[in-house]
Amino acid sequence: MRTGVIKAYVLKEFTELVRTKLIVIVYLLPSMILILFGYGIKMEVKDVRTVILDYDKSKLSYQIISAFEHSKYFSPEVLNISEKEALSLMKKAKIDMIVIIPESFEKNLLKGIGSEIGIFIDASFPFRGLTIQSYAEGLLYNEASKLLSSDKAGLITVNQRNLFNQSMRDEDAIVPGLIGIVLLVSPAILSALIIVREKERGTIFNFYSSPVKKSEFVIAKLTPPFLLHSVNIFVMFLWATYLFKVPFRGSFLTYWITSEIYVMISVGIGLLVSIVARSQIVAIVLTIIITVIPGFLYSGIIMPISAMKGEASIEAHIFPVMYFNHIIYDTFLIGQGFASEKNLFYFMILLLYAFGLLVLGTLLMKKELR
Amino acid sequence: MRAFLTVLLKELIMFFRSWGLVAVVLYSFTVDVYIAGKGFEVKPRNVSVGYVDYTDGIISKKILSHLHPPEFQEPIRFNSQEELSKAVYNREIIVGLIFDPDFEKNYFKGKAQLNLLLDATAAAQSYITLSYIQNIVLRFNDLNFPVELKTHKLFNQNSDTPKFLALAEFLSILTLITVILSSVVFVKEKESGTWDIMLLMPVDSKVIILAKSISQIIIVMVGTIICTGIVLFGVFDLPMNGSFFAFVLLTLMYTFSTTGIGLFIASVAQSLVQVAQLSVIIMMPIIFLSGSWTPIYSMHPILQQLSLLSPLRYYIEGCESLFFRGTPVSDLWLYFAALFILGSVLYLFGFRKIGKLF
Repeated sequence: MRTGVIKAYVLKEFTELVRTKLIVIVYLLPSMILILFGYGIKMEVKDVRTVILDYDKSKLSYQIISAFEHSKYFSPEVLNISEKEALSLMKKAKIDMIVIIPESFEKNLLKGIGSEIGIFIDASFPFRGLTIQSYAEGLLYNEASKLLSSDKAGLITVNQRNLFNQSMRDEDAIVPGLIGIVLLVSPAILSALIIVREKERGTIFNFYSSPVKKSEFVIAKLTPPFLLHSVNIFVMFLWATYLFKVPFRGSFLTYWITSEIYVMISVGIGLLVSIVARSQIVAIVLTIIITVIPGFLYSGIIMPISAMKGEASIEAHIFPVMYFNHIIYDTFLIGQGFASEKNLFYFMILLLYAFGLLVLGTLLMKKELR
Repeated sequence: MRAFLTVLLKELIMFFRSWGLVAVVLYSFTVDVYIAGKGFEVKPRNVSVGYVDYTDGIISKKILSHLHPPEFQEPIRFNSQEELSKAVYNREIIVGLIFDPDFEKNYFKGKAQLNLLLDATAAAQSYITLSYIQNIVLRFNDLNFPVELKTHKLFNQNSDTPKFLALAEFLSILTLITVILSSVVFVKEKESGTWDIMLLMPVDSKVIILAKSISQIIIVMVGTIICTGIVLFGVFDLPMNGSFFAFVLLTLMYTFSTTGIGLFIASVAQSLVQVAQLSVIIMMPIIFLSGSWTPIYSMHPILQQLSLLSPLRYYIEGCESLFFRGTPVSDLWLYFAALFILGSVLYLFGFRKIGKLF
């Protein structure tokens, strides 16, 4: 291991990064992804386009309509059209929900016969449909319990405590997970590109024919992406806490060290990709496919890890995202740090992962023509 | 015409020669879509539940019996509140129920309180889980509430997410691959300097550009047919309520407008690395404004106007309408027109920018 060789190589890489303006992308891209997705992924649905068909026109039905009007989730319209027309509006994707209050709704209720309210929801976006359903049912049940404020025995109220994210902000839930994706994707792409570019241009033969050792080459090639993205760790933190106002409850040191190791993992993935890929375009597409998709699926952003079953659960345990995100969510929202054995255990796994990938990459790398 | 066919054939041969690219494209259109669809579900499913029961009564058992698969996992019993909250803090349990010692006594008095610890780090899941539990408790309360809520979720009665997610993944893969492939065919030539030679040939540059783009459209259309045929219809059993022909036509229009984006990128970028950077920068807002994450009606009014520029918006809405809603084609002409206009504008720009040597 000669430090002089490595130093010269690293210097060359940095100059090239600046010359090709690749450095702009190193800092622009991660922040852009974080900001776009952070604002973009909203699980909350607002202003649902609702059509209410009121066939009753009684005091009670007006009460229900006004409840819909006062909710921020719905923007209702009372229309005088037939059910069929309303349905065709929905087929044209003009409205999302139809609420039908039948004739003599109030009369039947007062008589105690019982009546029904029909709710039709466009579920072609299934998750959106479910959310709308839970909003609408919640609203109607709420109205109902207001009407029937009886002191009947056996009334249970639910007293919930939303831990870690009291107001259930989407930003709090999503932004820490996004950091996990960004820090996985962009260092991997950069390090894969730096190596594959030489392959594509043929300048890799300089390395093949020179006495530079494989380990020196790997260190020299991976140091620039690692150092550059180490800065991104801080940038991401600032975006999350200042722009998205995500609380930070853990220790910054934990966040920092874990992220550095995670960037090492990502750089290692880039190294592995660069061994397989021969052209830059294949390298880019391959890296995106093996990082972005598991990044989203197994990060716990969209589905909690504890709720996964079978294959999904096994696959989630194979990719590094899950371990990192567990610690990141902990440092941002929970704040146990390494006091919890699980965090410590996951940290060890990440360390092993980083070490394993880098060693594997160095071993598999070829210093000759295939 | 012969020049057109020659360039077209040349590009197709070039594509099949780079087996790595063929493999990546095939993988994306099949395995990747499959993984995305099977991989996860957004609605609460298998939510892990833990409880502490200080009452040992019947009522708590009755409530717990309502928490059953597929929405919830078998509730796990914890001996003390500390143990339960430790599990919640380690994110092994999402919902923790605590039955106080005098829960049952209070229940008969009519003011029992059920304490709920909820891991809200996954806000969306927690919200729906909470409303599930509230509904369970409300039903358990057995209010004399004579109104029955009849909820119908149209077009996808069970809110079957795998179908939807596979479709969504297919749409994003299609977009990504089309943009990258169609810009790479130009920039590769630019990088190696052969593009100038192409332009010097006594062939109209528009013909060359169209031939190159159409060759990529053909590749992507084959991928689309493979993906819809094998993965979407074969594995995920996606319904086809509209006409399949209209879907193919819509896809053709869509690839036309996305190759337009690719052409735009190609005319700006000088190297393949720049293509990668530019395509990400351009794709992000397109996906963001398409309404696949945030419904368009929930967006800021200015963003709503901007979303009219995203071709993916028309394609997603069109596909949703064709697959799930079963909208007649005559109601979809607007989508076709919008995609065609967007594509034409981009191509006109491309012709001017990349189709001239000087």
